[in-house]
Amino acid sequence: MPIRRLPPDLINRIAAGEVVERPASVVKELVENALDAGAGRIEVQTEGGGLARILVADDGGGMGPAELPVAVERHATSKLNPDADGGYDLLRIATLGFRGEALPSIGSVARLTLTSRARGATDAFGLTVDAGRLEGPFPSAFPGPHGARVEVRDLFYATPARLKFMKSARAEDMAIAETLRRQALASEGVAFSLDLDGRKALRLPAERVGPEGRRARIAALLGGDFADNAFGLDQTREGLSLTGYAALPTYNRGSAQHQYLFVNGRPVRDRLLGGALRAAYADVLARDRHPLAVLYLDLDPALVDVNVHPTKAEVRFRDPGLVRGLIIGALRHGLAAAGHRASSSVAGQALGRFRPGFEPGAHAAGASAWREGGWSPRAAAPVSPSLPGLSGVSARAEPWIGPPDAGVPDPQDPSVPPTQAGAEHPLGAARAQLHETYILAQTRDGLVIVDQHAAHERLVYETMKAQMAAGGVARQALLLPEVVELDPADAERVSGRAEELAALGLVLEAFGPGAVLVRETPALLGETDIAGLVRDIADDLTENDAPLALGERLAEVCSTMACHGSVRAGRRLQASEMDALLRTMEATPLSGQCNHGRPTYVELKLADIERLFGRR
Amino acid sequence: MKLTIERAALLKALGHVQSVVERRNTIPILSNVLISAGPRGLALSATDLDMEIVDETEAEVEAPGQITAPAHTLYEIVRKLPEGAEVSLSYTGDDPRLQVRAGRYKVNLPVLPAGDFPAMPKDGLSQAVEVETEALIRLIDRTRFAISTEETRYYLTGIYLHPLVEEGREILRAVATDGHRLALADMPAPAGAVGAPGVIIPRKTVQEARRLMEDAGETVSVQVSPQKVRFDFGRASLTSKVIDGAFPDYKRVIPQGNGRVLTADNALFAAAVDRVATISSEKSRSVKLAVEPGRVVLTVRNMETGQAQEELEADYDGAPFEIGFNARYLLDVSAQIGAEMIELRFADRAGGAAMLDPVLVLDPKDAASQFVLMPLRA
Repeated sequence: MPIRRLPPDLINRIAAGEVVERPASVVKELVENALDAGAGRIEVQTEGGGLARILVADDGGGMGPAELPVAVERHATSKLNPDADGGYDLLRIATLGFRGEALPSIGSVARLTLTSRARGATDAFGLTVDAGRLEGPFPSAFPGPHGARVEVRDLFYATPARLKFMKSARAEDMAIAETLRRQALASEGVAFSLDLDGRKALRLPAERVGPEGRRARIAALLGGDFADNAFGLDQTREGLSLTGYAALPTYNRGSAQHQYLFVNGRPVRDRLLGGALRAAYADVLARDRHPLAVLYLDLDPALVDVNVHPTKAEVRFRDPGLVRGLIIGALRHGLAAAGHRASSSVAGQALGRFRPGFEPGAHAAGASAWREGGWSPRAAAPVSPSLPGLSGVSARAEPWIGPPDAGVPDPQDPSVPPTQAGAEHPLGAARAQLHETYILAQTRDGLVIVDQHAAHERLVYETMKAQMAAGGVARQALLLPEVVELDPADAERVSGRAEELAALGLVLEAFGPGAVLVRETPALLGETDIAGLVRDIADDLTENDAPLALGERLAEVCSTMACHGSVRAGRRLQASEMDALLRTMEATPLSGQCNHGRPTYVELKLADIERLFGRR
Repeated sequence: MKLTIERAALLKALGHVQSVVERRNTIPILSNVLISAGPRGLALSATDLDMEIVDETEAEVEAPGQITAPAHTLYEIVRKLPEGAEVSLSYTGDDPRLQVRAGRYKVNLPVLPAGDFPAMPKDGLSQAVEVETEALIRLIDRTRFAISTEETRYYLTGIYLHPLVEEGREILRAVATDGHRLALADMPAPAGAVGAPGVIIPRKTVQEARRLMEDAGETVSVQVSPQKVRFDFGRASLTSKVIDGAFPDYKRVIPQGNGRVLTADNALFAAAVDRVATISSEKSRSVKLAVEPGRVVLTVRNMETGQAQEELEADYDGAPFEIGFNARYLLDVSAQIGAEMIELRFADRAGGAAMLDPVLVLDPKDAASQFVLMPLRA
């Protein structure tokens, strides 16, 4: 067969297969163009899931009649400028687009209309491309002083095969909305609007550029709940700057969908992010729960290669280890600092459960259940009247009349140091134990309910972790070194990280091209399935570039041991014991949630309680 | 089928077989015991498809026949019957249940047909070899503690029993290892043993066989094939599949030239290890041994509970060194030493390299047992 040169329209159609996968990718390309053109407001309208019509209008710089036909030519772009020698530098890309493929690709598979008024020009011009056939430019009407409108009709009509692969209009709508949300998270200074089949789907006003505007934009897109339950990140290391927000562990989701990473303002889906988040949240969240995060990474464009993927959804970092370390470090730091902010949504939910006006019968039943639970109502008596006016007054100031064994402090007992419910003790003074499971503590401006088992388990776990970090992981040498067969790439990856693994107690070395030889295992794991462990680590290295499985197994053993070694629900605690638990929690980072991301305590502010009783 | 038997005899027979029966089964008949009444008396058999135990005992058989009934229920019933009671078991075609009567007590148990009871074929077994019960018990007791519990290395989850000729002597040897330690025990090979295949006897079989040896006579007759092993204890017999796998070349890991020899009082050593390890709550209680001429210092360090140390007199006259072990492994091995003294032989390699070499533990009075321990590095 002779080798042929393909005609340009066919080349464009082939390119369209990569760049224009579905309507959402058209929206993505056009919105990126608008942002690169310096738009302050971007309007998107779609019909029929974007297959019938997509309109993207902006108020950016616009184009003149001479530029318009060039814009729809392949490999034509305004975004790369030659340097003094006429060379182009693909390693320093500061714009979202640069390939010059979007418009010709779209034009080759749809009916494209482009109208624009250049900044400062009086006349507007337009052109059409119908399945690759160019018409125009011709004078045209354009609303607004400057900018561009791109209208795409009958997407994929020129490639019926692709049309057959489209999902339902609803699914395409959702993908379009998600695309726009992602881009909007990165560009808080730009106003966005989205109309799906004439319905208002998104209205985002322009925010001030900067952290505040960013916070407002995130709240608008991910909900106020996220903003309330997230901690801020701001770290710079070796020219990399990481900002953004990540959720408290108690505010988690069942899927990893709400994890956003923006590299120099470009939304990317990078597996590095998932792995880094998992590693950072490893011991505060169960494996099947996922944190929410919006992270902005800014770095010298020369340090990241964006030219690795036709739709630029993936990027390649020159030093992925540094990026990973920065993300994990910043998240861990933030988590430790935020360790004492129990999710406000938890308290909110709890408040929502309270209902005033008990039925008399129900009330009686409740009261007797309480007494059976080992809580003396008499002992509680001094607590309630003292609540409203109490601010920072010593718990000792009240004369206690409860029996000493009822789980409240005994004033005569000199071994119980007086506890100040002041600012220095954010978790307050323990007042009572409810149902032999929950500790009720009074703080300066509210009350705290602690789940004693969850809290103590976390404390024991943290102690064990600290021990492990200080003492190193004991390694049991194997009498019969185990050969684990892996595929050669995995074997190389695993043996390449031997040093890191040895620190966690797993000593192994390469054994021929497709196997590793395990000589020592973490003693903590006892007799373990070595082959299974090594394979999991290999998978982790492929997927997340970090041997998470090993750390997770050790943590699992620690957490099982912590569970057995901690105070259970149902154990009666003396006041001094409860206070001691509260003080240790205050001193321990990450004690706000158990190992699975559930809160260990809930704080109710006095204002919330007053609201319950209609005082506010 | 109808028979009468004294309660104690029935209880003993049921006791021999019932522990094979798993508590939960997906095949209903595996929960049952096969009751066979014949001219030789009563035979009970139970199986979990991997192992079968048959117990034969005398009984007054009025009508021969076979039926199966729930093993655990029957055992519990017989256990609770008063001592000395005469128990009658009868199954007639009229009532499709097994009737158990003792004095004024009676119960009807559901049955399943005897024809459905899975029988374990006994083909291919070698000529029976008579082994002294005492010697066989010793082989098992010396090695069973080291059997692996990790199912992924299934070939280590049993005792490797095999005859061999070493330095001109014919030996029957048992070896078990879990990859961290190894235990080996020898006995002179009984007549006819050499030439039989080596077998890996699964943990559950070891446990059941060891239990039945308590009631066995002077000798146990053993038959093997590459797939099966059969023990005949006199009235009871056990047939089991063996682990289908190759036991690793254990001789390679038994250190030959370990020249640093430490001898200490075994009881004092075990007590000291136990005492210092008390402060460690972890599973892997790491004990450090600092060996010097004339003494050994045991240390356990725990971040939370502090440090425990005990000094012990020991017979050693080489260069001082330090090595760590899992305390439980040390205690397990020490428990196997019958002599007053325990002998530990360490590798001669200088420096940290020796910390990784296997250590040989010996019973000075029992040259036919050897134990190998791998150190622990903290």
